[in-house]
Amino acid sequence: MNIALINGSPKGGATNSGFLLEKLRPLLPQEAEISTYRIGPKALKNEQYLELLAMDTLVLAFPLYFDAIPSHLLRMLTEMERSTQSSNQRPQTVRVYAMINNGFFEGDQCKLAVEMIRNWCERCGFMFGTAFGHGAGEMFGSVGHVPVGSGPLKNLGLALEHLVGSIRSGESTEPFFTQPNFPRGLWKFSSTQLFWNATAKKNGLKPKDLRRRPGIPPIRLSQSGGKRQDM
Amino acid sequence: MKMIVHDLENAGELPWLTAFGSGQDVIGTDEAVIRHCTGCFGCWTRTPGTCVLKDEYRHLGARLAACDEMVLISRCTYGGYSPFVCNVLNRMLPYVLPYFRMLKGQMHHQLRYEQTVKFNVYFYGEDLTANERKTAQALVQANSLNLGAKGFEVSFYDNIRQLKEVLS
Repeated sequence: MNIALINGSPKGGATNSGFLLEKLRPLLPQEAEISTYRIGPKALKNEQYLELLAMDTLVLAFPLYFDAIPSHLLRMLTEMERSTQSSNQRPQTVRVYAMINNGFFEGDQCKLAVEMIRNWCERCGFMFGTAFGHGAGEMFGSVGHVPVGSGPLKNLGLALEHLVGSIRSGESTEPFFTQPNFPRGLWKFSSTQLFWNATAKKNGLKPKDLRRRPGIPPIRLSQSGGKRQDM
Repeated sequence: MKMIVHDLENAGELPWLTAFGSGQDVIGTDEAVIRHCTGCFGCWTRTPGTCVLKDEYRHLGARLAACDEMVLISRCTYGGYSPFVCNVLNRMLPYVLPYFRMLKGQMHHQLRYEQTVKFNVYFYGEDLTANERKTAQALVQANSLNLGAKGFEVSFYDNIRQLKEVLS
């Protein structure tokens, strides 16, 4: 079994999507041959699309942007759809899985992104395996030492089991949505105080500065003659 | 004023679009090259309200705040926007604040501005599936909630000609 682990985070360095892939990897079948890909703002090469089409299984890990798939990853998915149309390989053998994290608390806010992946699979002739959406994704960076399946990562353990079960059985299952098993209010408080306000302080800003409303820049309005005029 | 974001690339469409968008803030693929959001949160924590990527699209949050309606004209792609329209939307992150609020039992972003927009989305595509339409409808509703829009409308067209007839 060939498995491609695809990190769809546009950030450099350590990412929440990378964290999920790292936790998934030891749970995959031992005999699996695993390749890793990073989808950043730079497009993949044609030969990389062909490599992906030759895989048995694709696992996409990405952050939720505006309730959906981030634009750089969406562009890659459209390119890959084009590759399926021009390739002689048999894309129907490809099975697709997704692990999506979002910054809100509720994992089910990822449900539309999952549906988009499902729709993409249908367009490409791939098989949608399953997916999970996990809330409070920014938490992952601070709990790397916690064993998966315990404490704040208890529900992540269940989500990974769900995904791995489907990969091993080869059967499609419904998506799974979850969040850390601690109160939502705690996430709201900690993200505000320990993340946003703390980051502002590091950047020499106060919390009230984060609420600034920059002035409206000159806007070039479209004109009926085809020219644009500054407002 | 309206912000009109579109992905129409065919030169034949541009005269119509120029008339439709006259006097509005029109953003299309014929503008400057757009960079993808890198998820750095700089627009929230380094230069609040302005994207740190130095291109023509760094002020999209403030530009949207100058409008009372946002119109998206997009090929429906897997039940969402096309990559370009999605890219523009992603770069509008500074329109909202990093802080959370509760709406309808879920977390969403607090708004940076008091002003709100009406959200109007025109999807086109020849062979859209029922699930793509359903996903797209739900996506616009979710975006509308997250952006604090005062209302939203979604419509679907088989092709651009049909869309032009409705908007002309």
